[in-house]
Amino acid sequence: MPDPKLRILVVDDFSTMRRIVRNLLKELGFTNVDEAEDGAIALQKLNTEPFEFVVTDWNMPNMDGLTLLQTVRSTPSLKHLPVLMVTAEAKKENIIAAAQAGASGYIVKPFTAATLSEKLNKIFEKMAQA
Amino acid sequence: MTPDNDNPDLEALFDSVVAQAAPAAVPPPAPTPAPAASSPGGDDAALEALFDTVAAETKHAAEVATTPAPAPAAAVSAADGGNGEWPTQESVFNRLGQMTRQLHNTLHELGYDKILENAASALPDAKDRLAYIASLTEQAACRVLNATDVAQPAMDALGGSAKGLGERWNKAFANQLTTAEFKQLAEDTRAYLNTDLPQKTGVVNAQLMEIMMAQDFQDLTGQVIKKTVALAQDLENGLMAALLEVVPKNKRSEEVTSLMNGPVVNAEGRSDVVVNQQQVDDLLGSLGF
Repeated sequence: MPDPKLRILVVDDFSTMRRIVRNLLKELGFTNVDEAEDGAIALQKLNTEPFEFVVTDWNMPNMDGLTLLQTVRSTPSLKHLPVLMVTAEAKKENIIAAAQAGASGYIVKPFTAATLSEKLNKIFEKMAQA
Repeated sequence: MTPDNDNPDLEALFDSVVAQAAPAAVPPPAPTPAPAASSPGGDDAALEALFDTVAAETKHAAEVATTPAPAPAAAVSAADGGNGEWPTQESVFNRLGQMTRQLHNTLHELGYDKILENAASALPDAKDRLAYIASLTEQAACRVLNATDVAQPAMDALGGSAKGLGERWNKAFANQLTTAEFKQLAEDTRAYLNTDLPQKTGVVNAQLMEIMMAQDFQDLTGQVIKKTVALAQDLENGLMAALLEVVPKNKRSEEVTSLMNGPVVNAEGRSDVVVNQQQVDDLLGSLGF
């Protein structure tokens, strides 16, 4: 079981979606959650505060989720951060692009609490092995 | 020159269409004076010829023939990079240009330009309608999330109390309680049943009602969406017909390639999208991720 104090950043431009993800994370035992409304704000937070996990949407203003992911992966201090994409983008090339950019997981909206839990656990397992 | 009562937007549209069409001096559907095409660098002459053709057909010779050439010849030929590649397109542009001018003149003559204005003003209205939908659905989502925020602690408290009482009753049945403890348990249970339970279920019921009422947006957005869809269909029908004529054959099947398309609204018959999480996992698995 991962540390329930795990500091998680939820990135989505819709406040309702951020709230839903935050509630689901709370249900799964993670209460140390912060939010950002686009990739640019997320990056700013990641660079100034210690986060251990990122859940991000794809289609956002200012900086989209894929760019955020690519930037995280190319920043030495952030590149090991797990990034879970939760997005409505369902084209196969999207999924492949995200995987190639180093996404830790990909959830397509609409999604269930069970899916989120399963993907999180899978990522935690991989982190534990590493 | 341009008459005062001409709509400048339509004028500009016409000019831009003509500017692109200009290099092909011979529009197929109309008999055009040939000399214009043969004069080198004679884009202005070609334009004049085109205007003449249109003018002859629309009986607005005086107005049209004197319309100035919209762009210098250099700009026209620069914009015309695909002159050799898209020969059929040019004729379409020509025809489109003529049709636009004819339409413009006819509409103007009959006073229909007001109708066009209405169509154009319907678009901002559609934008407002969509913004209204976005606002209503967001409000509904917030109402529902607020309701669950209130209901969840009430349910947690009820569950917690019931669990505590249940454990104490188990002890009672195992003869592990003193008489005083048993008395207290009976009183607590009575209070739970008479006060706690009805009060908390009342709270939860009120929130369930709130969640139900938050769905009232569906009726309103449904109506607005239907109207917007109808407008979009009208626009699509007109634009599609024009686009299909202009787009080269080999480009017709090409889809817009972008990574930010939003939700897939209709996945039927498409092989480039996934429809559920299982397919995402399968795809990633097949790629070794």
